[in-house]
Amino acid sequence: MIDVLIFFIGASLLLYVLLGGSDYGAGIIELLPAGRLREKQKHVINEAMGPVWEANHMWLILIVVILFMGFPVIFTTLMVALHLPMLALLLGIVVRGAAFTFRHYDAIQDAGSQRVYTWLFGLSSLWTAVWLGIIAASLNRGIIDPEAAGIWEAYVAPWWGPYPLAVGVFVACIFVFLAGIYLIAETTDEGLARRFRRVAAVANCLVIASGGLVFAASLGERESLPAAFLESPARWGTVVLATLLFVVLWASVARRRGWLTRVIAGGQVGLILAGWLLLYAPNAVTTAAGPLSFYEQAAPEATLRQLVLALLIGSAFIFPSLWFLLRVFKMGRPER
Amino acid sequence: MAFSLGFHIIFAAIGMTMPFFMSAAHWLYLKRGDEDCLRLTKMWMKGVAILFAVGAVSGTVLSFELGLLWPGFMRHAGAIFGMPFSWEGTAFFLEAVAIGLFLYGWGRMNRWVHWATGLVVGLSGFASGVFVVAANAWMNAPAGFDWVDGQAINVDPVAAMFNRAWLHQSLHMQLAALQAVGFAVGGIHAVLWLRGRAPGLNLKAFKIAMTFGAAAAIAQPFAGHFAGQRVAELQPAKLAAMEGHFVTGTRAPLYIGGIPDVESRTMRWGVPLPGLLSFVAHDDFDAEVIGLDRFPEEDWPPVVVVHVAFQIMVAIGTVMAALGVLFFLFWRKGRFPRWFLWLLGGAIPLGMIAIEAGWVVTEVGRQPWIIYGIMRTEDSVTPVPGMVYHFWLFLVLYVSLALTTVWLLRRQIMAAQDERGRSSGGGAS
Ligand code: HDD
Ligand code: HEM
Ligand code: HEM
Repeated sequence: MIDVLIFFIGASLLLYVLLGGSDYGAGIIELLPAGRLREKQKHVINEAMGPVWEANHMWLILIVVILFMGFPVIFTTLMVALHLPMLALLLGIVVRGAAFTFRHYDAIQDAGSQRVYTWLFGLSSLWTAVWLGIIAASLNRGIIDPEAAGIWEAYVAPWWGPYPLAVGVFVACIFVFLAGIYLIAETTDEGLARRFRRVAAVANCLVIASGGLVFAASLGERESLPAAFLESPARWGTVVLATLLFVVLWASVARRRGWLTRVIAGGQVGLILAGWLLLYAPNAVTTAAGPLSFYEQAAPEATLRQLVLALLIGSAFIFPSLWFLLRVFKMGRPER
Repeated sequence: MAFSLGFHIIFAAIGMTMPFFMSAAHWLYLKRGDEDCLRLTKMWMKGVAILFAVGAVSGTVLSFELGLLWPGFMRHAGAIFGMPFSWEGTAFFLEAVAIGLFLYGWGRMNRWVHWATGLVVGLSGFASGVFVVAANAWMNAPAGFDWVDGQAINVDPVAAMFNRAWLHQSLHMQLAALQAVGFAVGGIHAVLWLRGRAPGLNLKAFKIAMTFGAAAAIAQPFAGHFAGQRVAELQPAKLAAMEGHFVTGTRAPLYIGGIPDVESRTMRWGVPLPGLLSFVAHDDFDAEVIGLDRFPEEDWPPVVVVHVAFQIMVAIGTVMAALGVLFFLFWRKGRFPRWFLWLLGGAIPLGMIAIEAGWVVTEVGRQPWIIYGIMRTEDSVTPVPGMVYHFWLFLVLYVSLALTTVWLLRRQIMAAQDERGRSSGGGAS
């Protein structure tokens, strides 16, 4: 049962990063200067994200639900220790979703309010992406301490420092990279496609650079990443493979293979995620007192059984309808 | 939390009922080719899109807040009452997919398949409403576990979900959403019609929305009565607080209005109807109704708040049921008098007020317990200091969201009134 749940958490995380993440990336791209392509870019991003962003966002909710029903101790430990970054994340999620929808559905599309929506949408996308990274980085630093008395030790120290921040930046770069790659095939406008290619290329370099930054920043941590990665071939293998795939990726971009390119980029990000998960599995959180493992902190068997049942039955509805959604909106002709 | 929920419930109520109005208009268009109905469908569709997004983000906040604010509660309760939430998650997921298909699917698929995706939005929203209320009902009628030495053992999530309170609460809540939104939408279009704006469109909108609203309003007092009987059985302290019933006794009176005086344990300025409370609670004018005197005072909910909120809800429910009956009568006669339409214009906010009042009754009436009879609210609260900031942060956020949403919907309605309708958002055309 627990293995099935871990699988669902991992799969949801992957899909959230690949799908939801690229929606954040699109928001960040809109923050960058675009000159006269601005309006056209806005239109393409609206059309690309509009039908799917709410569904993409559901993966996060699924993770939260699995955690609080299946692993309540892990859930509450996190929510207490990372209260502040979680709040920041929520703030970003609310503003991002609202700004995107409002921009699209405002009945009177005057330039002033449109500019405000776009600006809010972009800024909150960046903000949320960085906080997602900070939270991810804080899980297993071993600083979370449920017994801590001081405000600093209990609520700030767990996520403070250069390392979480570096991971935050890294995550934002990954999201921009994904969005750039996905968007190339969403438009038939040559100029815009060129712009998305350029954004993806720059983001690609930034992903590598900020990845290096993450490794460097981790040297000040309790357990440094380079040491941890070198421990097993599966761990460093994923990172090396993800990096090598960049060559294949750009060959595919040059040949204009829309879907192939997307799949490769998704595979790269999936590999990075897998490498990260392999570092800690099966522990979800590492507190000062030791790791909290999924296996030891699970809810009673009867609850897990019901949860798995709900997820399986739910999947039987969700996957076909997601497939239908994709077929209707993503397999046809791209936008003007 | 209470504040986030108070906000979320309004949007959730609209979000789970508007799709039905939209589907009804859409169906009329597909059957009769009525252009007004097409415009209505698109107008309501944009409203649904906006509200769904706001409902989705405010709901995300809630799902985190459960852990952020009530870690003590969730640590014990998550495994027990999480089941409706996991089903709710599934329903939301379907809804999110369906809404994407409906909003952007015009001209991209078979018309009836497209219509069906709109209906799925409504059905899955409705289902999620039922599930989440079942979770709340569990806090009123905890079931599905044994509580031994401060630990839950023998957890049975199925029994927890189908607890003794889920049926009456869900039924009542879903009717409440339909009636509140039906009256609000119907009232707005009635006023617009009276002002002579796009008469064909507004009359049809009025009829569609009010059909749902009036039918639900007529059924609601029965559902409410059913709820009251269940409360009498499950949570006698709550019932006593609702009625300001201090002393246990037979032939208990029902009060119209009045303010309970906790010091002297009497009801001030209320009009007593002897025996009626006994009848309402137990179908028998002479039955004994347990009063607050059977409970130690530290286990009393805030009596005044609960009583006043309950009175507000019931008063509004009665008025709305009467308006609902009138609506069907006038429709059969084929003409709605102007005064009636103005009256409905005045009733626009009533349903929403009743929803908030009803939640105060259930939630405050359950105090000092967070899980009735098992865990006290003070034991469940987060240890994180500085919760006032949390409160203010979300207050500001939600108030600005609410204001923006209202402003947007206003622009939406105004644009639709205007036949030429300045260009509206892309995608849907
Ligand atoms: C449009 C809104 C609306 C209207 C007109 C009414 N109610 Fe209500 N009531 C609600 C909206 C509501 C609610 C917000 O939906 C509640 C809160 C929790 C719930 O399940 O429903 C509720 C709760 C609630 C409860 C508490 C249930 C519990 O704690 O388990 C009772 C006893 C009643 N109602 C009874 C009535 C009666 C006798 C009404 C007479 C007409 C009535 N309500 C009209
Ligand atoms: C949607 C409408 C709801 C509203 C307006 C609402 C409002 C409230 C109010 C007024 C209190 C009492 C605050 C006090 O007396 O100090 C409360 C308590 C609480 N409610 Fe609700 N509630 C709603 C539904 C729910 C649901 C569906 C859940 C969870 C499934 C929930 C969870 C809680 C919790 C955990 C408390 C803690 C007690 C407290 O706040 O003091 N509520 N809520
Ligand atoms: C009586 C109380 C509640 C009702 C009737 C209700 C109903 C709904 C509905 C109908 C939606 C869909 C939004 C829309 O269509 O506009 C929604 C959204 C949501 N609600 Fe609630 N809800 C309630 C309380 C809660 C609570 C306590 C939680 C926290 C666990 C919660 C979690 C969510 C989430 C996560 C979403 C977003 C899902 C999405 O993206 O569509 N809700 N709610």
